[in-house]
Amino acid sequence: MSTIAPARGGTAPATAGDGPLTGTAALLGLALRRDRLKLPLWITGIAVFVPYFYTVLSVSGSQPGGMRAFAGLVDSPMVLVFTGPLFGFDEITLQRAFLTYTIEFLLGAALMNILLVTRHTRGEEQTGRAELVRAGVIGRHAPLTAALVLALAADAVLGLLMAGAMAGLGFPASSALLFGAGTAATGLVFAGITAFTVQLTEHTKGAAGLAALALAAAWTLRAAGAAQAVEGGPWTWLSPLGWAQLTRVLADERWWPLALSLGLAAAAAAGGYALSARRDLGARLMAQRPGPTSAGPRLRSPFALALRLQRASLLWWAAGMVVVGFVWGSLAGAMRQGMAEAIIGGGEDPALAYLSLMAVFMTVIVGAFTILSAGRLRTEEVRGRAAPVLARPVGRSAWFAAFLATAASGSVGLLALTGLATGAGAALAIGDGALVGELLAASLARAPEPLLLAGLAAALYGFAPRWGWAAWAVLGFGCIARFWGESLHWPGWLMAVSPFNHIPRMPLEGFAPGPVLALAALAAALAALGLYGYSRRDLDG
Amino acid sequence: MTAPAIEVRGLVKTFRTTRALDGLDLTVAHGEVHGFLGPNGAGKSTTIRILLGLMRADSGRAAVLGRDAWSDAVALHRRLAYVPGDVELWPNLTGGEAIDLLGRLHGGQDRARRDELVRRFELDTAKKGRTYSKGNRQKVALVAALSSGADLLVLDEPTSGLDPLMEAVFQEVVGEAKAAGQTVLLSSHILAQVEKLADRISIIRKGAVVQSGTLSELRHLTRTTVEAATATPATGIDTLPGVRDAEADGRHVRFTVDSEHLDGAIKHLGGFGIQALTSHPPTLEELMLRHYGDGDAA
Ligand SMILES: Nc1ncnc2c1ncn2[C@@H]1O[C@H](COP(=O)(O)OP(=O)(O)OP(=O)(O)O)[C@@H](O)[C@H]1O
Ligand SMILES: [Mg+2]
Repeated sequence: MSTIAPARGGTAPATAGDGPLTGTAALLGLALRRDRLKLPLWITGIAVFVPYFYTVLSVSGSQPGGMRAFAGLVDSPMVLVFTGPLFGFDEITLQRAFLTYTIEFLLGAALMNILLVTRHTRGEEQTGRAELVRAGVIGRHAPLTAALVLALAADAVLGLLMAGAMAGLGFPASSALLFGAGTAATGLVFAGITAFTVQLTEHTKGAAGLAALALAAAWTLRAAGAAQAVEGGPWTWLSPLGWAQLTRVLADERWWPLALSLGLAAAAAAGGYALSARRDLGARLMAQRPGPTSAGPRLRSPFALALRLQRASLLWWAAGMVVVGFVWGSLAGAMRQGMAEAIIGGGEDPALAYLSLMAVFMTVIVGAFTILSAGRLRTEEVRGRAAPVLARPVGRSAWFAAFLATAASGSVGLLALTGLATGAGAALAIGDGALVGELLAASLARAPEPLLLAGLAAALYGFAPRWGWAAWAVLGFGCIARFWGESLHWPGWLMAVSPFNHIPRMPLEGFAPGPVLALAALAAALAALGLYGYSRRDLDG
Repeated sequence: MTAPAIEVRGLVKTFRTTRALDGLDLTVAHGEVHGFLGPNGAGKSTTIRILLGLMRADSGRAAVLGRDAWSDAVALHRRLAYVPGDVELWPNLTGGEAIDLLGRLHGGQDRARRDELVRRFELDTAKKGRTYSKGNRQKVALVAALSSGADLLVLDEPTSGLDPLMEAVFQEVVGEAKAAGQTVLLSSHILAQVEKLADRISIIRKGAVVQSGTLSELRHLTRTTVEAATATPATGIDTLPGVRDAEADGRHVRFTVDSEHLDGAIKHLGGFGIQALTSHPPTLEELMLRHYGDGDAA
């Protein structure tokens, strides 16, 4: 046996340099080790769209009239809302047309940062691992600092990779660098914002949700600004997503708007540090309120439990969707004024075309709720909370159905609220009260789409629970197919695979029961399949 | 010797409406194994989190190895190691990686000791964190802490989930740590473990220490149980000074008595002709039950 002879007695020696940041390097090493697969996938997954989008654009640009179609982009308020502000489009080039994809890169970078920072801060506290780590020689601010340094490094690599790819495609090196830097700086803004939000809630879900709310707000401000003017209105200047675009890449370029990004990133992170110094490890800023001492009379079934567990999250989603729906709906007013040729849908009423597209867009967002909500089944299982319930006289099918029913009814409820809110916004902006009912119908008609996602999640859960992320892949694929598939010239069969390409675009098109019923039936079949698999397989956790 | 390894005075911590610590005092001398006992929710883990600088006390003083637990936390952590009762590991790191990582975060590890402990705890270090059973996760944290060479080991229910064989290994290893001069603060609900390992014990209840001392001191403060069979039925026992809980059943009596009145009670029994006599000091369990209940404490 080897023995250890610790120094005895006396006071602990003061070690030079011990401070709140001690141990940051060690934690950074740990984070890199944990993310050695995840982070490279995120970074290349985003950067690879540089050559992809550009190649596809050059194909359509080389077709007769292709370039003229690009120039017309800025005439469509709808295109502006999704891509603006845009600069230099009066002299359109292929490279400038590529800039209509800027937002996608910014959103990708923001999401990467939000998930990265929550994972390495609140995620560690929530599991209790941070307690083990912080009992080591680890300064109070080391975990947050390590997460932010990792975010900074990831953003830098992403920016450089994108700039390199663009330079390789023939973009001027300085413009490529500015574009990459804009993406990286935007990512950093959301790293900073997340450093702040992780102090506010006890769980990663809440922290990431709050940061995502900030992202949605930034998107909406940018969209509102883009509707004000091609080169961006006052609202654009309030949006962290707008700043990267206001560098006017490939027009009269300027770097200084990125100072706003860095400033906000630093300020938000500083707020995060200040808050974290004022709370205990694992706690949130506001102490937990005491709850009821006994269960209410209705908390007596698996369904009631599933609903109770998701009550708070459902309320947040409802509030968020109502706000987003109302704001985006009211932008329909701008569409009607700019009655120029809309590229999506030719000579159609641009306001209706816009609203139909928004209905799809918001269904995709509700689809994210659906997957998260159905994913609760898995969370309950691996955290070991399902087993004690299933050990009572509760059948697996009742448990399974309870969570699936919550996901399904929650999604339909959210769709109804979203449709009403969008309709109200549009009705007020355009002055046509009938839009409320039309948008409600448009939104509800799309219900089979999220239901299909719920069915898919259920089937995966039943047969391949570790592959639950595949439902996200389908949502992502469906989103890309719906919004870019056509301009990317995807073949018909590939488009047909997406769940979002079958239900008619109401209110522009009329209701068709065929696809609605078919998707709903498919969803039910998948759910039944999932139940079959679930009732036969072993329980994990 | 200079300052004690742990010195806590008047610690108060309130969570909104719950007063978790209510003027807690605790002293742990260098080189001793100190048992930290108390019912669920008494405030043991809260005290430990404050000692680790993970939580800040509302008022009071918490000094570890002569330095402030909150402001000197990082420097202190070079000299202490911690094992929580519920260990979570990183899902995609193996147990071996986790041990080494925790050792590095601590600032040093005795490699030979680490390997030896892995062997004695029969830990498979090649498994990924997500596949460990509860007891094996616990072993990972134990090996990391016990191979760190820290002056002070802070153990919060460290063996929850260990099987009896591993529990025995744990007791051996803590004995070795003590022999090597390490100080141990051991919070535990396993009384046999504390009885065997602890030099001194503090019993905490509702956020304050209600008793502190060696096991024999604690026993001395309390009552001895006496059972006897006498030739003629013993009478008048219940009126003797210091005697309580007297039960008589024919020629059998059973009662408890203060340590200082034991002599008088036995003399009184002698008058009835003692045929059989057992007397035992309270077990730790009996001691604890006194404090755990809601009745008046000792
Ligand atoms: N983060 C917190 N927020 C609110 N109350 C808390 C928090 N942490 C602890 N408490 C409360 O403080 C009291 C002391 O808890 P603590 O965890 O210290 O008890 P313990 O002695 O370790 O109990 P056990 O033997 O069950 O581990 C309890 O009433 C507990 O509910
Ligand atoms: Mg505890």
